[in-house]
Amino acid sequence: HDLSWISKIQVNHPAVLRRAEQIQARRTVKKEWQAAWLLKAVTFIDLTTLSGDDTSSNIQRLCYKAKYPIREDLLKALNMHDKGITTAAVCVYPARVCDAVKALKAAGCNIPVASVATGFPAGQTHLKTRLEEIRLAVEDGATEIDVVINRSLVLTGQWEALYDEIRQFRKACGEAHLKTILATGELGSLTNVYKASMIAMMAGSDFIKTSTGKETVNATFPVAIVMLRAIRDFFWKTGNKIGFKPAGGIRSAKDSLAWLSLVKEELGDEWLKPELFRIGASTLLSDIERQIYHHVTGRYAAYHDLPMS
Amino acid sequence: MAATRAGPRAREIFTSLEYGPVPESHACALAWLDTQDRCLGHYVNGKWLKPEHRNSVPCQDPITGENLASCLQAQAEDVAAAVEAARMAFKSWSAHPGVVRAQHLTRLAKVIQKHQRLLWTLESLVTGRAVREVRDGDVQLAQQLLHYHAIQASTQEEALAGWEPMGVIGLILPPTFSFLEMMWRICPALAVGCTVVALVPPASPTPLLLAQLSGELGPFPGVLNVISGPASLVPILASQPGIQKVAFCGALEEGRALRRSLAGECAELGLALGTESLLLLTDTADIDSAVEGVVDAAWSDRGPGGLRLLIQESVWDEAMRRLQERMGRLRSGRGLDGAVDMGARGAAACDLVQRFVCEAQSQGAQVFQAGDVPSERPFCPPTLVSNLPPASPCAQVEVPWPVVVASPFRTAKEALLVANGTPRGGSASVWSERLGQALELGYGLQVGTVWINAHGLRDPSVPTGGCKESGCSWHGGPDGLYEYLRPSGTPAQLSCLSKNLNYDTFGLAVPSTLPAGPEIGPSPAPPYGLFVGGRFQAPGARSSRPIRDSSGNLHGYVAEGGAKDIRGAVEAAHQAFPGWAGQSPGARAALLWALAAALERRKSTLASRLERQGAELKAAEAEVELSARRLRAWGARVQAQGHTLQVAGLRGPVLRLREPLGVLAVVCPDEWPLLAFVSLLAPALAYGNTVVMVPSAACPLLALEVCQDMATVFPAGLANVVTGDRDHLTRCLALHQDIQAMWYFGSAQGSQFVEWASAGNLKPVWASRGCPRAWDQEAEGAGPELGLRAARTKALWLPMGD
Repeated sequence: HDLSWISKIQVNHPAVLRRAEQIQARRTVKKEWQAAWLLKAVTFIDLTTLSGDDTSSNIQRLCYKAKYPIREDLLKALNMHDKGITTAAVCVYPARVCDAVKALKAAGCNIPVASVATGFPAGQTHLKTRLEEIRLAVEDGATEIDVVINRSLVLTGQWEALYDEIRQFRKACGEAHLKTILATGELGSLTNVYKASMIAMMAGSDFIKTSTGKETVNATFPVAIVMLRAIRDFFWKTGNKIGFKPAGGIRSAKDSLAWLSLVKEELGDEWLKPELFRIGASTLLSDIERQIYHHVTGRYAAYHDLPMS
Repeated sequence: MAATRAGPRAREIFTSLEYGPVPESHACALAWLDTQDRCLGHYVNGKWLKPEHRNSVPCQDPITGENLASCLQAQAEDVAAAVEAARMAFKSWSAHPGVVRAQHLTRLAKVIQKHQRLLWTLESLVTGRAVREVRDGDVQLAQQLLHYHAIQASTQEEALAGWEPMGVIGLILPPTFSFLEMMWRICPALAVGCTVVALVPPASPTPLLLAQLSGELGPFPGVLNVISGPASLVPILASQPGIQKVAFCGALEEGRALRRSLAGECAELGLALGTESLLLLTDTADIDSAVEGVVDAAWSDRGPGGLRLLIQESVWDEAMRRLQERMGRLRSGRGLDGAVDMGARGAAACDLVQRFVCEAQSQGAQVFQAGDVPSERPFCPPTLVSNLPPASPCAQVEVPWPVVVASPFRTAKEALLVANGTPRGGSASVWSERLGQALELGYGLQVGTVWINAHGLRDPSVPTGGCKESGCSWHGGPDGLYEYLRPSGTPAQLSCLSKNLNYDTFGLAVPSTLPAGPEIGPSPAPPYGLFVGGRFQAPGARSSRPIRDSSGNLHGYVAEGGAKDIRGAVEAAHQAFPGWAGQSPGARAALLWALAAALERRKSTLASRLERQGAELKAAEAEVELSARRLRAWGARVQAQGHTLQVAGLRGPVLRLREPLGVLAVVCPDEWPLLAFVSLLAPALAYGNTVVMVPSAACPLLALEVCQDMATVFPAGLANVVTGDRDHLTRCLALHQDIQAMWYFGSAQGSQFVEWASAGNLKPVWASRGCPRAWDQEAEGAGPELGLRAARTKALWLPMGD
């Protein structure tokens, strides 16, 4: 890999904003297409809880919901009950990984457990403890690690140092998948987003992820467009397909459809599978279920019609 | 649980993740057509006009071919009725204060807002354009246009004092167009107090609907009249008595023909021709965003025409790869589908594309087509043409929608040469992340609109127009208003048509002149020669013509200029142009002031020469003084080269630049031999043009006296003065392809010839049609009209963002 890949790059902010506006209006899906796309969206969800008050009981409930994301009778009505629709993963704090692994095992499924790490969400701890955090999470059974990058390295232009750090994260992960959170809301410019994306991919990330969900600006379309273009450029240069994970602020079923069509438009259908596309969300699933309910029954669901997660 | 509504296909879609149809119901459009019993006539004076015994043309869905309605074709008497209605309406409409017109426009905007679904479904159904573009783009912009022009109307009395509406405007629209093209033109016309007769091609119901919405608003039914009919009605409408201006929007050759046929007719002509656009992609650009710019320009239903794409050689491969990748994701389909990028524009457009592509291929070009496009007619896939040899015939013609012709360039300088090397001058975008380079290219492009790192943005407050053969009429912004205004007190345009004027022989031969005796008179003898390139030169014909004073005595001889001398003068003016146009307004003003001072020093000579032409000494001295004042005034007036506009929804400024036209030919009137000459020279030079002037035929000596000073004050070639036979020189100038504009003050026949001949390169022409002008009056001799005509506008969009 070569740092010259990022030296010449230019991202035009207003032009990307215009594209972001257009892309949301240019593609919609209706009727069966909408239902099918929504079910597909479910399989991309990293069902997430990242709260200070997480305990084993709500982790358990979350894991159960991950296994049964949509009411069985609704899936039957759509003739989709045998497709094994589950969310892509559950995503928790490192201290809750054990709980999640246990709960998923009890539910009898092999949904991967993802753990955030490396001083999430700020990343402002010592490198040594950040690396140790990854190792412990992997030991506890997490097979996917969402690390945050050190934003100060981006803002001061220390691209090689950033590369080295992510390399070490990669090594610490071992077999586990590495998802690198760029915290794009704190990178200053879209050009920096592109550069950080490229560095993260060069350093061996399996996914690049927009944000922690804890910044003031989370997953936005302009940022996503820049990251997706970086993914495509990386693929063209190396032949490696890297995954993309928007996270934070994706709450409605309509949003999720827009994200699917964004990936379809910018990268193509090959990226629309859980190995290459995830949506980090906590409340999105219930809205999707509500829409599916409406599609199947023609009625809007009451709060108690659908099981809570 | 309620009954299941789910279809069987969800399973397959779950795997394929394909897009499905998103049909937009057009029931309300059909219901509207039903109210007309599926038979559309014309909308005149607030009523539907459905005359009997007219041919009718079917209005079809361009995609399915389904018959939607039949449209009656107008005949000459229907046109006359519409013009008469507009003429009657003009009397009250223009007499009302601007506020009343503002109210009417605002109410129309509200009506459109309330019935927008009808508007967008009808438009998309009939034209085949993507409904999303019509709904989110056109309909919204139509309302903004009405609101913007309502504001202009309400401030008209103060902001446009000294101007009055022209009268009835004849608007001619091309076969394929968005109703927005009509809105751009009717809004300013109505706002300033004109009334409109729009001639739309057969089977275009949307303008009729708009006319109906306007007419039903009440008190001013006749301000907007729409008749539909074949192209053969164009000359009939244009020559209808009472029509003061014809605004034509359409194909180049039709515009050229109309320019010729309207020479000498009563109506003024504003042309907006062609649809091609240009995109310059430099190596510092954000290429992915530039590719989106290409999509906006040519592969969407936003842009009207094709695109010429210039790519810097060092990023050629990368840009082409991205373009082709992007093309693969474009979707085309029925316009009323909410998820397509491109609709279809009918069989004729489709044939045009096929012809162009075949021809390009036969001339050695590579053609790439991609996208999710239905294979049946009339859909055309997005097309990328490359490696087209620049000298091939196909590289010269206008690129049709949805074709992009890509060619490489090496340096920014070369990009400008290539970009400016076409007769078209519509719009262009520049993609570069280097501000200096982007501005250099933006200022250097000879087009009406330049977007930096964007393409196709539009706003009611930003003037849109063109230069060169794209025609010089404007819409939007202040320039759009002036299109339909004339200085107060100007008499209504009269026809100066002389049917037996032979264009082939007008001014062709120079009557030979013989020596008329020795010059007698006060010394020093007047300067002799043609003032070309900064010095007096002998004429190519090596002959002279006598000039007589007011009592018939020989005053002197002046050189007899001819075609070769005009050629030399134009060349000299072109050489001087870049240097002069590049000067700051302050530097130009300084030279004009220096000339003014020189005139004052020469006052006694000038005054005595004027005296010999029959002027009183007092009046002669006053004329000299006024001439010097004119030079100073224009120097001082042209200090600002433009101003900044603020546009809703855009971060960053839009610059409205006033750029010089280039080489301006001026044929001065016979009267006021000094004052008229200087009054025309001053604004032309102040705006940065270089000029070729034909001085007063009766007394060119005064202009030659001024030339003696220009020789010392001005750089060579700035102003060139050619004396000789007026008609002959006029012919040479009017037929010259490399003169960018022409002002003619002379006979009606000469005016008619100049208007006819200007069709060659479509140079803007200002012809007096034999009407004398009061050059000593401020309004006519130095009014803002001269300033407007001496420069052209360019809108430069500068979106900002990190």
